[in-house]
Amino acid sequence: MTHNPPFARAPVAAWPWLLAGLLALPLLALFLRGFPALPGTAKDLDVVLTSLLLATAGSLITLALALGLAVLGVLGGVGRTLEALLLLGYLVPPFVTSIGVLYSLQAFGVRIYGVPGILLAWALHYAPLAYLLLKPQVRVALGLLAAARVHGVGGAKALQVFLPPLLPPLLVAGGTLYLALLGNFGVPAVLGLPERVYVLPTLAYARLLSPTAQDPLGEAAALGLWLGLLALPVVLLGRAGLLEAKEPLLPPARPAYRLPFALYALLALLLVLLGLLREALLNPYTGAWDPVFARALDLPLVQKGLRNSLLLALGATLLLLLLALALRPFPGLLRRVRGVLDLHYLLPGTLLGVGLILLLAPTPLYATPWLLLLAYLLNFAALALRALEGGLGVEGAVLAGRVHGLGRLRAWLRIGYPLLLPSAFAGAFLIFPLAFAEITLSALLYAPGAETIGVAVLSAINGGLYREASALGLVLMAFSALALLGRPRW
Amino acid sequence: MVRLEGVAKRFPGGGGVLGVDLEVGEGEVFVLLGASGSGKTTLLHLVAGLHLPDAGRVFLGGKEVTHLPPERRQVGYVFQDQALWPHLTALDHLLLVMPKPDRKEALGLLERVGLLDHAHKRPHQLSGGQRQRVALVRALARRPQVLLLDEPYSALDPVLREELRLEVRTLLKEQGTTALHVTHDPEEAMLLADRVGVMSQGRLLQVGSPKEVYLHPNSLESFLAFGRANLLRRDGEVLAFRQEWASPGGSLIAEVLERRELRGEVLCRVRLEWGEAWVRLEARPGERLHLKIDPLLHFPAP
Repeated sequence: MTHNPPFARAPVAAWPWLLAGLLALPLLALFLRGFPALPGTAKDLDVVLTSLLLATAGSLITLALALGLAVLGVLGGVGRTLEALLLLGYLVPPFVTSIGVLYSLQAFGVRIYGVPGILLAWALHYAPLAYLLLKPQVRVALGLLAAARVHGVGGAKALQVFLPPLLPPLLVAGGTLYLALLGNFGVPAVLGLPERVYVLPTLAYARLLSPTAQDPLGEAAALGLWLGLLALPVVLLGRAGLLEAKEPLLPPARPAYRLPFALYALLALLLVLLGLLREALLNPYTGAWDPVFARALDLPLVQKGLRNSLLLALGATLLLLLLALALRPFPGLLRRVRGVLDLHYLLPGTLLGVGLILLLAPTPLYATPWLLLLAYLLNFAALALRALEGGLGVEGAVLAGRVHGLGRLRAWLRIGYPLLLPSAFAGAFLIFPLAFAEITLSALLYAPGAETIGVAVLSAINGGLYREASALGLVLMAFSALALLGRPRW
Repeated sequence: MVRLEGVAKRFPGGGGVLGVDLEVGEGEVFVLLGASGSGKTTLLHLVAGLHLPDAGRVFLGGKEVTHLPPERRQVGYVFQDQALWPHLTALDHLLLVMPKPDRKEALGLLERVGLLDHAHKRPHQLSGGQRQRVALVRALARRPQVLLLDEPYSALDPVLREELRLEVRTLLKEQGTTALHVTHDPEEAMLLADRVGVMSQGRLLQVGSPKEVYLHPNSLESFLAFGRANLLRRDGEVLAFRQEWASPGGSLIAEVLERRELRGEVLCRVRLEWGEAWVRLEARPGERLHLKIDPLLHFPAP
């Protein structure tokens, strides 16, 4: 009988489970407070249904659009530059997309508030995400199609080998979209509230701010639970059934397919950008050149918002990357902790926001910027951990170092961490812009006097400062474009 | 130098090694030969400390290391996929693993394998053969008690493979390094080994000199590990012989069915009284021959 040496001992202690339980406390608090208030009023149930239908319809529209783009992208051999152009649309915060689309279409006399506006903004914003998820899968499926054509199968019959294998990936991508749309606050806040079209995140926000609500926290918690219930089946769906192939058999890239892809990427971006530029640069009454950037950046709320968002986003990014680096050598612990953190990222931010209010309202942390920092840490931690999970072969390289005499710490310091640097860099450029332009959590949790830039833009819109909001939208777009720099190059 | 006593390791999904006893002497090049999944690599991992045995003990240089972490076992390892560190130069690979980093010694090792001009290149700037040489001298740089080589040439083209394996054998013998080498290639085993161990399904079936195991396999699995096999069934037993064990003369009647030339040698498919076989001799299709097969091995039918 042998004894396990200390270096190989599995972390079987209870404390990782305790830590995971601690991280899940906001969700538990939400459940305990929200459950007695279920099912809610008839209006609440209407909003539940609206949320469900809108998220489902939005997912289907976006999925169809992304599938088309993925097919064009693979067949056309679309390069990194064109993809970056498309991706920029996703990196812009969704509420900025809404403002841009709104003003662009207003120039043509089209009023896009309400359900059509929400669906359009969602499709524009989230199609690049679905494209990224679907493209590798479409590549494999098109390889199967090419193999079928080699064997003489053509026309509608060939679709039999293309579409069925794609169904599981479509389901996974659709599920991801559904979760994103269900939890999205920014687009319905900008395009839905003026028409009194509520979805669960905006209704929860309205309830928390409502002076007439009898139990704002309880009602918001119940709405959060509804969100969780609508999201749960998709969270449990998992990622089974994805296609894999090392080198799918593909026909040579045909440049003709790049044109519609490029046209879409350009139009989608222009639809957002032109509206913002027009509002920010031209006087709406005279049409004269009248840039409003200086005025927008001079607003006290904006200055505070920029400073706070910068500090919060930087702090969250640095802390999360340090945490992820510290946890990286302990895969068992990492898995347990990430299970909960994935939930915080996948489930709508409203759940986490309301849960944190319920949990921490009685503590001195409440109504301070630290609460928002904690919320950002919990919300974006999954991204940091996943970013550093990349770097395939890191474990092998570290083990190779240990076999050749390097101690565990030295092997990580000299081999593991240097190899993870590109992933850490990519993670930082992903998390920072998202945290900087975050709005769902900050709208719920900002401390008076410590507003974020997202809250400042929302306040500008609510206060009728549409031109200033557009200028700030452009500033946020520029920050978001930073994330493109973080795309891994190794 | 290396001693394994009843070492066993099983994996939940199947595979592993089942109670292996083995002793490799100082300066000996020992080759473990077996098909994929036979447990060869697992055995190397157990010696290196990458896996812990479920049972049994591992000794290196007379000292028990069963419980020691990999970094304290003083082994060198040439991995199948090289496992070079992409951010380090060839020279840095050596300096990092040397107990007392000595630039001159490291450069000397690189010179020994013809890489002095490439000392400051990173793995992606080197060819496949150069990368494999870096992996080899990295493993030697820490002056290991035993060098473990896991199919180190499998990713190389045939010409380079042939060139490098002879080079490695010379280097190991020059330095008097004890080596445990894993391969599924019988030719490689014959060429490199002082002794060979045949593995199958987690068990070490036979240990001996390459010639001994080649000519006198103690089981059908050992026989098959060296390839080029004719297996014919007769009355509940398997008659086994290699293509080159057949020669003209003798009492066996063979009808030649087909003739092929392969790398300068002629192979013929012949019909014998027990079935068809491939033999290495010169004949024409349709010809009837008298054959002698020596040795003709008899194994119980599986």
